[in-house]
This record gives sequence, structure tokens and C-alpha cells, in this order.
Amino acid sequence: MSYGLMKKTTATVAAILCATASFANPYEKFEGTTLVVSWPALAHFSAAEALVDEFTEETGIEVEIDALQYLKLRDRQILEMSKPEGEYDVVSWVVMWKGEYVSKGLLTPLSQFFTSGSLVDPQYDIDDVAGAYLQNGGVVGGKKGYMPGVSGALYGIPFGAETSILAYRKDIFEEQGIEVPTTYDELAAVMTKLHDAGIPALTSRGKTGHQVTAGWLLHLAPLGGKIFDDEWNPVVNSPEAVKAAEFMRHVAKTGPVGIETFGFGEAAAAFLQGDAAMHLDTLKIAAMSRNPSLSKIDGKVGYALHPVGTRCGSETGGFAMGIPANAPNREAAFLFIQYLTNKAGDQRMVELGGDPVRISTLQNNTEGFDDYPIVAEQLPCADPDWRPLIPEWNEINIDVLGQALTQVITTDDPIQPIMDKANEELRAIMEREGYYTWATYRAAQ
Amino acid sequence: MPDAAEEIVPVAARRPWDLSMLGPYFFILPAVAVMLAGLVYPVIQAFYLSFYDWKIGTDFDDAPYVGLRHFIRMIGDEDVGESIWVTLKFGFWTISIEMLLGVSLALLLEKPIRGASVFRTIFILPLMVSPVVVGLIWRYLFDARIGWINYYLGQIGIEPQVWLGDADLAFFAIVFTDIWQWTPFIFIIVIAGLQALPSEVLEASKIDGANWWQHILYVKLPMIRSILLIALLMRLIDVFRALEVMYILTGGGPGRATELLSLHIYNRAFDTQQLGYASAISVLLIVIVFFLSYGILKMGNPLKEKADI
Amino acid sequence: MSGVQLVDVTKFYGTVNVIPPLNLSFDEGEFVVIVGPSGCGKSTTLRMIAGLEPVTSGMIRIAGKDVTWARPKERDIAMVFQSYALYPHMDVAGNMSFALRLAGTSKEEVARRVRAAAEMLELTEYLERKPKDLSGGQRQRVAMGRAIVRDAYCFLFDEPLSNLDAKLRSTMRTELAILHKRLDRTMVYVTHDQIEAMTMADRIVIMEQGHVQQVGTPREVYNNPRNLFVAGFIGSPSMNFLDAELQDDELRVTGQGFDLPLPPRLHEAAQGHGARQVIVGLRPEHFAARHAGGGTEASFLAPVDLDVKVAEYIGSSQFLAADIGGRQVSAAIEVGPDSAPLTSGTYLFDTNRVYLFDKTTGDAIA
Repeated sequence: MSYGLMKKTTATVAAILCATASFANPYEKFEGTTLVVSWPALAHFSAAEALVDEFTEETGIEVEIDALQYLKLRDRQILEMSKPEGEYDVVSWVVMWKGEYVSKGLLTPLSQFFTSGSLVDPQYDIDDVAGAYLQNGGVVGGKKGYMPGVSGALYGIPFGAETSILAYRKDIFEEQGIEVPTTYDELAAVMTKLHDAGIPALTSRGKTGHQVTAGWLLHLAPLGGKIFDDEWNPVVNSPEAVKAAEFMRHVAKTGPVGIETFGFGEAAAAFLQGDAAMHLDTLKIAAMSRNPSLSKIDGKVGYALHPVGTRCGSETGGFAMGIPANAPNREAAFLFIQYLTNKAGDQRMVELGGDPVRISTLQNNTEGFDDYPIVAEQLPCADPDWRPLIPEWNEINIDVLGQALTQVITTDDPIQPIMDKANEELRAIMEREGYYTWATYRAAQ
Repeated sequence: MPDAAEEIVPVAARRPWDLSMLGPYFFILPAVAVMLAGLVYPVIQAFYLSFYDWKIGTDFDDAPYVGLRHFIRMIGDEDVGESIWVTLKFGFWTISIEMLLGVSLALLLEKPIRGASVFRTIFILPLMVSPVVVGLIWRYLFDARIGWINYYLGQIGIEPQVWLGDADLAFFAIVFTDIWQWTPFIFIIVIAGLQALPSEVLEASKIDGANWWQHILYVKLPMIRSILLIALLMRLIDVFRALEVMYILTGGGPGRATELLSLHIYNRAFDTQQLGYASAISVLLIVIVFFLSYGILKMGNPLKEKADI
Repeated sequence: MSGVQLVDVTKFYGTVNVIPPLNLSFDEGEFVVIVGPSGCGKSTTLRMIAGLEPVTSGMIRIAGKDVTWARPKERDIAMVFQSYALYPHMDVAGNMSFALRLAGTSKEEVARRVRAAAEMLELTEYLERKPKDLSGGQRQRVAMGRAIVRDAYCFLFDEPLSNLDAKLRSTMRTELAILHKRLDRTMVYVTHDQIEAMTMADRIVIMEQGHVQQVGTPREVYNNPRNLFVAGFIGSPSMNFLDAELQDDELRVTGQGFDLPLPPRLHEAAQGHGARQVIVGLRPEHFAARHAGGGTEASFLAPVDLDVKVAEYIGSSQFLAADIGGRQVSAAIEVGPDSAPLTSGTYLFDTNRVYLFDKTTGDAIA
């Protein structure tokens, strides 16, 4: 008898037993199980390790964590989840990957657990989880296959998710008599004013490749731009997209020296070391500025909503957790996810220095966390479609936009032709990958 | 006896077969096996991959066969052309400056003057540093915001420069870093070559009336010609292999200003995840390196030449 | 004063004195050979003349000019090295013409002189070859050719024949001697081989440990060696040395197994010599068989008993390793090519050829 078959038999026997016996607590029948969890080696997740220990103590379920550098995470997870019998019970993915995971049939839909009365805690209250996070990280479907919508289904719960907010130096703003900007026009004016006063204004990612694109994308949605229209036609040369590029050039000209070389780490460091007056990117900057080993500006930082252009729109990103289709212990895995993301767990994450995902947690912790009310207010604006989550995204992101935007911020060349050229290249990629098959077909009809 | 035809036993044209003749093959077998596994197999594999459109993370069985499509795409790919141009420019500046500096320093420091050995030891330190660390060191030195270079330029009243964010400055930075790391290599093999020169020949040239400059130009340099060629060849191959330093220092940016061909291949393979296309470009790289090496070896095969004294 | 002079020249390596004050003077056009065992300072002396080795003190003069601190190229010298020191990357013509080209000599003149030298050295057909494609003897001649085209005032040779085989070496010796006659230039030649010295030199300088032991024509140093060192160094095979005692009449010298009358030329010196204990020197080639020459025993031939251990046949003579009174000596006996191997017995020694040396100083008693 194969090991797999034996395991299945045991599971069947256990299921039969469950049907007849009742347990003192929902965790009892999984006592002694060992869960294997794959997640990234990032601050939020190392903070969660204490919570994982508490989980084991309370439930008797052992947890083994396989923490990997996040760029290596995807290959490892796909490898593991493609096997007939996987090692991982829980995987944590970057929101971009969910479409690929689901289309390859690698994940378990969570609906089957939410219908099980013995597993789901009635007080879990999934509606309390920030909608943008849940949609962006956990729901797969919609008309583009990676979007929320009526055709979507839930595959994951956000954990370590994020959006963008504006962080600024209260002391500098006060000294210069500057009002906190609420719109992009105000923001641009503030940047000019700070720069004229000899103060580097807004820090930003700007290194060639996905970094500079990420910097631009932050401004694209609020200024009303998009990468594609609904027919997969690229529109990165639209007036809105060009305006976002112009704004990036303004950022580079008025910001700290060296933006052209900044990745996320360098951009954040410039703000945390006091070399920039503003940071408009992930909310994680708040936790970082409270960390004395990273920050020289603790206590001087104010938070505000991501400024609005033609609409409000902030980034959504970070991670969500789910269960592989080939996970050995799927039910215990659900209990684990539920424990980490229920109200108590979310509260513990705040205490441990992580980032919450629930609206209630944000609302209950305003003391000492200036950023939480802002995040709670920001979340309804978070745009799940702020970048297309399609397999071609890497090439578009790095090879096309990453190059074009570098030219935008390192030269004084006119911007419209740069973006026109990028748009053409983008269309060629989509053409190559067959996205216009339907349009061609319809045109021929 | 009535002419019983005398049977002529022919002497075997060659030594009859015997197991011991396999001896030499047996002994080189491990070396050949290692070479096949480590050298030939990856090259063949790259060649094979270049006919498929394999995206990283997907099953290779699902990768469609695309024939020569990658190669056709490559011919019209401006980015590939640009990275080849960057590589050639990089190779030209680094190698010519490294050769000039390395050879000059070797000629100057060849004599056992006071402090020369200390200087030599310090000077070859960059060679012992791993390229990744070299990349990190210089990335921080060149950093626009916190780097020493800008700090000291600031001290003498020069505006801070975005060394790694401006196309020309970043190109200068990678050339400078490469010179910093590899001039010692030229220095060390040239000085070894100079010290191995027969002293009597050098004395003969002094007696023949060569001045310092003629002595170097007509006697010393021609005599270490094969060493110079080997150094040139190795550096040239290195230029096409160089990856780690540029990867860390600039990542190929800004734009593609410092994206050498090898880094371009890396980015195509792992950033934009087009393994098949990246393999096709590496086939091109192999062809380029092959012809360059062939050309240099044609100039006078240093590996074939024996010491001729 | 022309020629080459070394005046009170010394050389120290650090604190080690390799050349004590040295005084030598060579005439213009003279072929001088400096000979001595390895480490005697002969090469250093030559290199100081060439300017390859700076002197510590003293003065060097070439053609009447003080060149003590002049660079090699300012000394009007040419030099041939032991390893030939050819430029491996130049062909024969290039090697020979290098100095001329550096000096800016006209192309026609260079070609003419190279051709002349090549003809003299029979190198004409090799002019386009590289040194690695030449035999040892040919390379040697190229090295000579390189010196010849210079037409320098003084030629210096640093053991130029020691890398050649015995046959080639003797050919080259002859060629060198002819060359010297033809060029009529001052030549200073360093070797450890006394045969080269004897065959080629106008004058020989014998050095040991930096000191000049004797300067003289080959005849002088062979016939009148000034001390034990010179006597032992010059002549092949080497002179035999035996402890001996001067008899009271000071006309005979005796030792274990021999009793030899002194030749008239030594009588006076022996009488003037205080000590009785001396060393007697006998060259192997001055022994003879008892009936050699078929004549009667001349009065200057004294009998000596040799206890022969080995007799080596070398054609017209035999070479004996023998004992006299228990002391090993060698003797070369001319007996003709058909003679039987020589055995122990009484042989003769030419007493005109007896040398005496002071036992303590090693100086010749003469």
C-alpha cells in the first residue's frame, strides 16, 4: 500500500469518526498534525512567528515555516504545488501571482471550508477584512480573470497586504508653512516649493526596470490613467498616462539626489534618514519610521490620504494566504489561516509590529498609530486593477515601461513620443501573445 | 618439394589489439566526462532551449516549439543590438586602459625598489574580492545620496552627481570599477612575465645602446608578447562574462546604458522570464566569443608557442 | 693611455667584498683571457668593464676615457654572453643590426655591415631565421655577429663557448682567434676553462677569490707559475704536488719514494730558502718511460718508481693513475699507439721540469 493511499484511508476513517463523535474543541482532532507553511522572509512575516507559536500552544498543531526570499518564493511554490503530493499546507503569494496559480489549478477554493460548521468560527466575520485587500489578494475571476466580480471566487485571505498612503515630515511642513496636499496639483506645487527652499521633496523608486514602473504606477491610477482598456488595447500614451510620466519627471527633479538609482529600499531610506520630505508608497513606511534601527525621524511623521487626481486610487499589493490543491492537511491549514487573520490574530499582529488587514483593527488602534485611521479611510480607494496581473506583465513592466520611464526621468526628451513608442512596443507584445484574436475575428465578420 | 608455395606470413600492419591499449583512454575518461557534463552539455542545452518558448515556472513539456522564431526576433531586436554595442564599448575602454595601466605599472614596479612589494600586495587586493562584493562596495561609493565620492566632491565644491543614474556617468562608473578590479590582473601576469625574462637578453639590449623607452618597446614588450595576448584574451572573454558587478552596481541601468550582453541575457531569462529567447541570445554570445577568441589566437597562438630562448 | 685599465677597482655586495682593490691594464688590440674557478670574480670584473655592474670604488678607463660611471652604450663596447642572449622575436639580421638601428645608422650601411659580418661567420643563408630555428653553434655565431657589426673599440666575452659541445668548442676557439687577428680589437674574454685561455690569449689573467694570482703570456704562466694555485690551475691534467724535503746540499729534493736532483735554475733559490720542508710540483706530461725515445738516459732524467693502479689507453700515450711512496699522482706517458698497457716499475722524470713551492705561503721557489 502506498503512503498516499494509506493517508487517504486514514483521512476517510477520520472523516467517518468525525461524523459520529463530537469534540471538545474544533482543534482537537488535528492535534499532533504538522503544517508546512511557505511564506516570504519579510518583516511582517517574521513578526508573525510569535503568533504561530501561540497557535501551536493553543491548538497542539505543529507548524513548520519555510521562509524564502520573496523573489524565490514563486518558483519554489509552483514546483511544490505541481507535484501529485505537495509538501506545503499553506502558501503565501504576492497578489500578482494568484491568477497564474488559479488558472493552473494549484489552489483550493476557500468556499468549501466556509460551508463547514465545525471549521469556520462564526465570529470570524470575513466582511470585516478590508474589501480591497480581499478582492485584490484573495478573489480570482472577473472579466480579466484576475479581478473581483460576480464570476470571482475566493482563494485566499490577505495577510501582509498593503496600500499606499502619503507620509510627510510634519516638522518641515510646519517650518515651511505648507498645507498637506490632497490633490495632485497641490502635491506638485508643494514639491516645487520644497525644492526651491533647498529641501528634497518626494522620494520615489526610480531604478531602471520594475522599480521605476512601480513609481509611475502609483500616480497613474489617481491621475486617471490605465495600462489597457477593456479590449486589451494599451493606452500608456493617453493624456492621463503622459501626465503621470510628467509627474515622475517632476518627482525626479525635485526629489532627493539619486532617485534614478533608487529601489524601494533606497527610496524609503532617503525618507527615513531625513533626506526627503515626503514618501508616497506603501503604508509599511509607518512601521519602518517607528523602528529606531531604520529611522531618524520617529515622531516627526504625519500621514495623509494618497492625493487625488481625477479620481482617488491607491495601490494594492502585498500578500495573501491560501491552501494548495495538493496540500496534505487542508482543514488544519484553514484553521491556521483563520487563527492568524481573525480579530484576535489581527490585533496580535499590530502588537507584534505587523500590518493589520481588518477595518475593525484599524479603527480600534488609533492610539500611537497615526497611520491607521488614514489607512482605514484610504482602503475604499484602493484599486485592485492598478496593474494588470497577466503572464506578460513582467516583460511589459521591465522591458517596455521600465525602459521608457527611465528615459523620462533621466533625460529632457519630450515625453509624448517616449510613451507613444512604449505603447507600440506594448501592442506588439500583446499581438504576439494572441490578445487580439477576438478583435481580428470580429473585424473579419 | 614441388614448389609448395611458401606461405608468406605478413607482419601485422599494426600492433594487435590488446586490453592495455585502452589504458590512456581510461585515464582521460574522467576529465572528458567532467568536460562533457560541465561544458558541452550546458551549451547544447542552451542551443536546444533556444528553439522553445519556455517561460520560467511553467512546465517545460508545455513550452511550444517555435523553431527559429527567437533567432529571427533577435535580428531585429534593437535591445540586443544595443547591449552588444554597450559590451563592445565597455570592452574597448576597460581593456585598453587596463592593459596600458597594468603594463606600465608592471614596468615601473618590476625593480625591487623600497616599498614595491608592499604596494604590489595592496594593489592586487581587488583581485581577491568577490565580484558581488566589488559591486556592493562601489555601489555605496558611487551612491548619489550617501556615497563617499559625492561627499569628497562636495568637499571641493563640486555638485553631487547621480553616478549610477545618468547614462554617461553610469557607464563611466562600470568602466572605472572594472579597471579598479582587473588592472591588478594584467599587472600581476605581466610582472610575472617580466621577471621571467632572461636577464642577459635585457643586458644585451643595454649594451646595444637601447634607451629606457627603446628597451621596453623593442625588447621587453615583444618578448612578453604571448603573455600580453593571453591577458588580452582572458580579459576579452571576461568582458562577455561580466555580470555580477554590473548586476549589483546598476542592474544595467539607467535604461540599457550599462546593460552588457550577459546581463541582458540574465534579465531576459529571469526578470522578464523568457528562457527560450534568452537561450537564443546566449547562443549568439557563444558565437561572438568564439570568433573573437579565434581572431586573437590567429594573431599568434600563445598556447602553442614554446619559450624561445 | 689607450686600451682598458682598471685602477683600484673594488666591489662590495652589501658588506661582502667580492673584488678587493683590483688593478689591471690591457693594451689596445690585445686578446686578454681572465680565467679562474667559478666565483673568483672574473665575471663581475667583466660586467664592471661593460657597465652592467656599478663599481663600489676605483676607476675604469676605456680608450683613455674615464667610463667608471658611463652607461654601457657610452663605453664603445660589444659583448657576447654565455647564453648568447639573442632577441627571440627578431630574426638573425634583426639581432645583428639592432644596435646599428638604435644608433640611427643609415639603412644601406646597416645592410652592408650585416652582410659583411654574416659572410665572415657563414650566416648568410640564415639571416631571415629566428634564433629558435638555429643550432647552438649558429646561435653562438649570431651572438658574435651582433658584436662584430658594432665595430666597437673593445669586445667582451662572458664564457661564450661553455654551452657548446667539446668539438664545436674547439672549432669556435680557432675561429675566435682568427677573428681577433682580423678585427684587431681589444678583447677581454672570461672563462673557467684554462685550455681556452692557453689557446687564444695574448695574455692570461688568473684570478682567485677576487685576487689576481698572475698575469702573463700562456708560456709564462705555464712555465713559471707564480704559486701553487696557478701551477695547479694551468695545465691539463693538473700538476702533481708532493711533500718533500730539501737535502742539506740543497741540490736534491727527496720525499717518500722519490729522490730528484734539482735543476740548475733552482739551485740559487733553494739555497736562499730557509725552510727544509717544501712542496714539489711534477707535471704529468713530464714523466717518461724508461726507454722512451730509444736513446740513452740523459743526465737530466731521474728514475722514479711508479706503482701503477690504472693505465688508460688514449692513443699515442697512456694515462697512469699511480702511487709514488703511497701518494697518488697522475702521469701521461708517450709510448706510441701500439704499446702494451704499462705496469708498475721505474719511470723517468725530466728534472729540468721540477717546481718547488714554499709549504706555508704556496709561492714558487725560483
